[in-house]
Amino acid sequence: MAEDSLIEVRDLTVGFGPVLAVENVSLSIGQGNVYSLVGESGCGKSTLAYSLLGLVPPPGRIVSGEVRFRGQDLARMSYKELRRMRAQHIAVVFQAAMSAFNPVITIGAQVEHILEAHPEVYPSRQEGRKHFEELLQLVRLRPEQVWQTFESRLSGGMKQRVAIAIALLLKPEVLVLDEPTTALDVLSQRLVIDIIRDLHETLDTTVVFVTHDLAVVAELAQRVAVMYAGRLVESGTVEEIFFDERRHPYVKALISAMPSVTADPASLRSIPGQVPDLSDLPPGCRFAPRCGLAQPICSETEPELKVGASGHAVSCHVVNSELGGKAASELAER
Amino acid sequence: MSLLNVEHVSHRYQTARDDRPVLQDVSVDIEAGQTLAVVGESGCGKTTLGRAIVGLMQPSAGTVNFEGADIWKLRGSQYREYRQSVQLVHQDPYGALNPGITVDETLAGGLRYHRIVPRRETHDEVRRLLGLAGLDTSQAFLERYPHQLSGGQRQRLVIARAMALRPSLLVADEPVSMLDVSMRISILDLLKSLGQSHGLAYLFISHDFGVVRYFAAGGRIIVMFFGVVVESGPVEEVIARPQHPYTYLLLDAIPEPDPRRARRRRSEATRIAAERVEAYPADTGCVFANRCPFVRDRCRTDRPPSLTGDAADGHWSACWYPEEIPAAAVRAVDEEVV
Repeated sequence: MAEDSLIEVRDLTVGFGPVLAVENVSLSIGQGNVYSLVGESGCGKSTLAYSLLGLVPPPGRIVSGEVRFRGQDLARMSYKELRRMRAQHIAVVFQAAMSAFNPVITIGAQVEHILEAHPEVYPSRQEGRKHFEELLQLVRLRPEQVWQTFESRLSGGMKQRVAIAIALLLKPEVLVLDEPTTALDVLSQRLVIDIIRDLHETLDTTVVFVTHDLAVVAELAQRVAVMYAGRLVESGTVEEIFFDERRHPYVKALISAMPSVTADPASLRSIPGQVPDLSDLPPGCRFAPRCGLAQPICSETEPELKVGASGHAVSCHVVNSELGGKAASELAER
Repeated sequence: MSLLNVEHVSHRYQTARDDRPVLQDVSVDIEAGQTLAVVGESGCGKTTLGRAIVGLMQPSAGTVNFEGADIWKLRGSQYREYRQSVQLVHQDPYGALNPGITVDETLAGGLRYHRIVPRRETHDEVRRLLGLAGLDTSQAFLERYPHQLSGGQRQRLVIARAMALRPSLLVADEPVSMLDVSMRISILDLLKSLGQSHGLAYLFISHDFGVVRYFAAGGRIIVMFFGVVVESGPVEEVIARPQHPYTYLLLDAIPEPDPRRARRRRSEATRIAAERVEAYPADTGCVFANRCPFVRDRCRTDRPPSLTGDAADGHWSACWYPEEIPAAAVRAVDEEVV
């Protein structure tokens, strides 16, 4: 596991003043993986994703812990090294892909600017343009729809796809996508999901995506990390997150709170209460006030993340004490 | 007589380049106490239809009738009664509340204007409404401003404000799409229980079939594409056996919160349609022809008849070749999983 891990996050804490948006999070993203960071608004998932790129927005800063890309600590990189890493190794498609373009020059001109700035990737710009055309094919667009066009003439779904093609232009190893399907219509969503699946398969790109939508996780992710109020509450394979016996109560509750066209409507349950304010956190486990399984210990001490044999990690007093040992031995048998 | 009906309503928005039709000959009936769900993607006209029903905008053609009377011909107390009876729950609970007034004033204003209760009972009525919407009734809460409330609390307040005027019809425009997943079911449950206890009718606007299936169970659904109603029928029937290619494609394309189901192969038709998602709606013939994977020559020349009031009892679609549509996506999945 550790050998082929491309990005290692260790005990990462990111603060905005006294408020900790991400607290003590550790995870490892393997080469060639499709990794999902999932949670509700304010859980810290986007902050965590941006810290993978060294892009925590000020006044936020990394308070402690580290992010390593191929073993190299991002905090120790110079500005120049960080820039090179972002240009060539990790690319990002922001949630606001809609406003990520320059509105007064054509898409083609923006692509030309990127090619001009990176002769180390494309010594000949002709080659770069050719590669961009191939990428447009991957995102199901034709060059004539895009090249001479201004951003304002593209639909939301098209902008999202053009942003993906541009992010892939410098052949990054990792593509980070923040809420790639949010605000898109169902059929555009379907298209973006298919495109992400294709680019992972054909270009072998490692994909990290942030979402609040468990349906998109179910569609795309191989591994999943679930965040709640700044903490990592569970991480594992997508099968473990959805079906394992040993699961965090929040994750279970979140899945059974999703109306779908196939699930039995009678099995839907809302989660009582609301996400705590990060500047006024409850003592102990942050989910305890909303949790149906909560015991006295849950509102006293914060649970630790316990890692099972397969790497499936859960941070819950109750689940870990009841099922932890059992699940681990079962896993060992398999 | 239905509580509210929309007859042959068309509307155009002027743009720099042309007049763009947003509603084309739309007719719907809403019976007292019934739920009608409107499903479609952004730009299909569903919000415009809601606004026309609430009387926030006058359509360029056709009529909206409340208890049989054209709402644009109502005067004085009759008009006030209509405005009071038909209330809107907005999509965005952040934008729907005046940031400068407290929870108390948000509710009390409408109560006083419409003289719902005697003036001295206003305060008690505000508390009753807060309780009804599942909110805190303490004095401290009454004095809060919208920015001090969570998204879920704001949406409950918007609902309480609508309930203050004793409506008989609520137009709920994507009431949960801006809320976190963990909040959605509780808001839908609140709307459902208010509907039952107060005999409310709903026009429930949503892009999400999952939410519609949960909220509008037992009700009816209309599916819209670029201002045209393309299918209408009972909720369960439309979801299980869609009769219009557009409805079928929307259902087949939905991402599902279950990895076993999510990774099944979508139909070839859905793949084709997803790649045509930018195609403009057709001007002649069927409005969906340019994106339809089952399109034939006739679809490009003859427009399928639009829904008229009488067909509303059964399951109807504006498609020349409904037999082309594959067996329902939803059932196929259930079989696959077993």
